[in-house]
Amino acid sequence: MSSKSLKNLTAPLSGQNPVIVQILGICSALAVTVQLKPAIVMGLSVMVVTAFSNLVMSLLRNGVPARIRIIVQLVVIASLVILVDQVLKAFVYDVSKQLSVYVGLIITNCIVMGRVEAFALGNKPWDSFLDGIGNGLGYAMILVIIAFFRELLGSGCLLGFRLIPESWYIAEGGFYSNCGIMLFPPMALILVGCIIWAHRSFNKDLQEK
Amino acid sequence: MAKFNTNSNTYIIIYSVVMVVIVAVLLSLAALGLKSRQDANILNEKKTQIVKALGYDPATVLYDDVVAEAALLDAEGKTANDDVTKVFEALQDVKGSYAAGSFPIFKAKDGSVVVPLYGNGLWGPIWGYIALDTDMSTVKGVVFDHSGETPGLGAEITTAKHQAQYVGKSVYEGDDLVGVILKKGGADKSNPHEVDAITGGTKTSDGVTAMIHTSLNYYKPYFDAVRAAQNAAEGVVSNELNTENNEQ
Repeated sequence: MSSKSLKNLTAPLSGQNPVIVQILGICSALAVTVQLKPAIVMGLSVMVVTAFSNLVMSLLRNGVPARIRIIVQLVVIASLVILVDQVLKAFVYDVSKQLSVYVGLIITNCIVMGRVEAFALGNKPWDSFLDGIGNGLGYAMILVIIAFFRELLGSGCLLGFRLIPESWYIAEGGFYSNCGIMLFPPMALILVGCIIWAHRSFNKDLQEK
Repeated sequence: MAKFNTNSNTYIIIYSVVMVVIVAVLLSLAALGLKSRQDANILNEKKTQIVKALGYDPATVLYDDVVAEAALLDAEGKTANDDVTKVFEALQDVKGSYAAGSFPIFKAKDGSVVVPLYGNGLWGPIWGYIALDTDMSTVKGVVFDHSGETPGLGAEITTAKHQAQYVGKSVYEGDDLVGVILKKGGADKSNPHEVDAITGGTKTSDGVTAMIHTSLNYYKPYFDAVRAAQNAAEGVVSNELNTENNEQ
């Protein structure tokens, strides 16, 4: 793997992160981060879809009529998502139930179409594939960070395992109470803001003059 | 791109037609090829949920071990059809069956019954099963499921912790079928018709309350008939006969 290809994979993790730098895919970052598990599964699913839609569109890029390229992209992305959904339903029904609406939500994820339009249409298949993986990972990473704080502070659990003992809670005679606002979408937005703040203070080149 | 003009109308039309045909064939093949596996999964899941509602562990107890009979009741509570395949077909579309006046019921070997529930949560449909003991009032267990409630909030109705609250509650108050009410701010522990609502999931909780009430009332004629038979039997015969009566 050349260093240029590797850069396609690693740039989206920080300097070109789709969520906190390009501000794409915020909607689902708010919706699926109440708990860690759906966030991880959603991150992985998006990664698969960005990687393969980038690959397919990059293979097709020279033949796609420019005037209907957005429609072609949508068809490719939607078909991939439906295929993934069908396969999950047939072979891992439990996971499919866990994902429920999120599978369908991938189609509407701005990152997928954003990367196809911005990268795959102008680059070779392998680079596009890596770019898709990288962006999926960058997205998943932010989702996991947000979900970590929301689940821990909002329900006192991580991945469903209780970390804060029941006996600490006020209802059981203790002193502790979950932070209810963590369970609501606005808190996810505030957390995204905090991550962007922290990220930019470490990466001075991202700061606007 | 010397060969084609990729922006000509002819090219665009041919391109779209070919693309749509390829995608349609691909997706149809996938759907057809995987359908039998998906249906088997769905049927298996329904049986598992019925077993779970009755309070057994689906990992060790099979549907056939505990359920004696599956039937479709009519609006008067009489058995209209007892073909098992038809009953499971009705479960695929509980809402439609209710509307058509056809009510699936599962009678367990121990005399308790399981009926499906169907209602609306905040974002979409919610459904489940409720198992009632031989007196047609005491809840033996519930199972809930949903299509799109918020994880951590409304979706908490699917957790064992929430569902365990229903066990031992009564759905009858005298002769009124009141169901089980999800009480916001915490249930009164001594009230046999109340359980705690989900914090932050008030709309979903209200949906569950309405779902239990509406769905169970479709079966009220049947429950009433069983209860009347029990009351009549209680006066004259021993407990043994009473149990036998329930099973009919």
